[in-house]
Amino acid sequence: MIRMFHVYKNYPNKIQALRDINIHIKKGEFVFLVGPTGAGKSTFLKLIYRGIVPTKGQVIVDGINIARLKSGYIPYLRRNIGIVFQDFKLLYNRTVYENVSFGLKAIGATNFEIRQQVNKVLNLVGLEHKRKIKPHLLSGGEQQKLCIARAIANEPLILLTDEPTGNLDPYTSWEIMKLLFHINIRGTTIIMASHDKLMIDKAKKRVVRLERGRIIEDTQRGTY
Amino acid sequence: MIFENMGFYFREALLSFKRSTLMSMATILSITTILIIVGVFLLISTNSSLFLKNIESQLEIIVYLEDNISQAEINNLKSNIASIDGIKEVKFVSKEEAYQRLLKDLGEQKDILSAIEKNPLPSSLEIQVKDPKVIEQIANRITEFKKVEEVEYGREIAEKLLNFTYVFRRAGMLVLALLVFASILIISNIIKITVYARRNEIEIMSLSGATSWFIKWPFIIEGFLQGFISSLFSIIILYNFYIFAVDKVHQAIPFLPLVVDNMDLLPIGIAIVLLGSLVGILGSMFSVGKYINV
Repeated sequence: MIRMFHVYKNYPNKIQALRDINIHIKKGEFVFLVGPTGAGKSTFLKLIYRGIVPTKGQVIVDGINIARLKSGYIPYLRRNIGIVFQDFKLLYNRTVYENVSFGLKAIGATNFEIRQQVNKVLNLVGLEHKRKIKPHLLSGGEQQKLCIARAIANEPLILLTDEPTGNLDPYTSWEIMKLLFHINIRGTTIIMASHDKLMIDKAKKRVVRLERGRIIEDTQRGTY
Repeated sequence: MIFENMGFYFREALLSFKRSTLMSMATILSITTILIIVGVFLLISTNSSLFLKNIESQLEIIVYLEDNISQAEINNLKSNIASIDGIKEVKFVSKEEAYQRLLKDLGEQKDILSAIEKNPLPSSLEIQVKDPKVIEQIANRITEFKKVEEVEYGREIAEKLLNFTYVFRRAGMLVLALLVFASILIISNIIKITVYARRNEIEIMSLSGATSWFIKWPFIIEGFLQGFISSLFSIIILYNFYIFAVDKVHQAIPFLPLVVDNMDLLPIGIAIVLLGSLVGILGSMFSVGKYINV
């Protein structure tokens, strides 16, 4: 699903965010991306949805070389990728329902499809009874669930999550994790950047450790 | 694709108006203010241009004729002059008419004329030209005709006036260009702020896989509406203010030529609408572009 060959990423201020990254993530895998702040986790995720292009090397996502992708095709790549941000990036002047339908409308889904999908994912994350309220009335965990609902609404092949449990208490974090496992079991490849030792040790999934832009460890059923 | 979604784009644009009423109102107010300033200048420059034209059109050539000229010769001369390029009107003023005018001009002092037995004034042709710039050239040609005693056209005044109007118009054009440039910058910056306030929305759409035009259209429509509505407001305000001002000026200086015909004011209205709408459209288009593909 995702392959990287000798990927380097340098930012304009001469910082080497990633150095010689080689990785293969198969379809349906669940991968934790761990490492200290500044290790390159966010850069790694950005490369996959083509928020940035590599300075050197190849990034292949679902058979597409993202460095060669013309800007007009980026939207179509992104329709296969759901993204969950640590800072939520919700639209606070729209309702829960509208936050999810917004992304679907953006990719040209019909009203019927939108209604069906939004109801389905809100049910999945357990927010169906709060569809009409605005996100600022939701708890932190609920807001994160809403982000997940939005990210999976168009059934993407890949789900990228950047520290989704970073601001949550352990109980709520575990709830979010269970939700992500559930989504993973249905076939979605998930890459999750995280600092959450407790969750990672408990989950027993593949762990990729980044440090100063390099992969220093890659273990199946790893720990933090 | 574009037209399929037009309904959605319009709905989104209007919804955004509704969601951020205060912001939209502030935007419209600011753009309206800028457009009013541009409009005031356009009104002033249109009126000064009319004023200058009016003065220029008062420049005329007077051809004094010899006393022994016959009616046939007058007609002949008249048609010869009329056939010169750039002549607007040729009017014959007889000796008698000239005398009557003089009497009228003298008014109370007309007794002076009683000392003179015979009418001393020559008959003349009063010639108006289409373009005051060629007045000298035409005057020189007329001098060559027979039975012409003297040709007069206020050479120095004409030259000074033409010089002045030339400089004045050029200066006006320069100021107008600067003003339009400044207003484009200001309006597009105002639009930029409204787009900046919604950069999250743009980012989310972009990451959801919306095409850039899908993201841009609602903003373009919103920018257009903001510019268009502002231009209508400024036109309404300007028009009422102008009618009022014209009335006041005419009370004070009745003979001052002012543009009052709505058809003559129309180009100013069109210019304001174009400026508001186009800058609204382009401003939002470029501002949105900056936040796409984060």
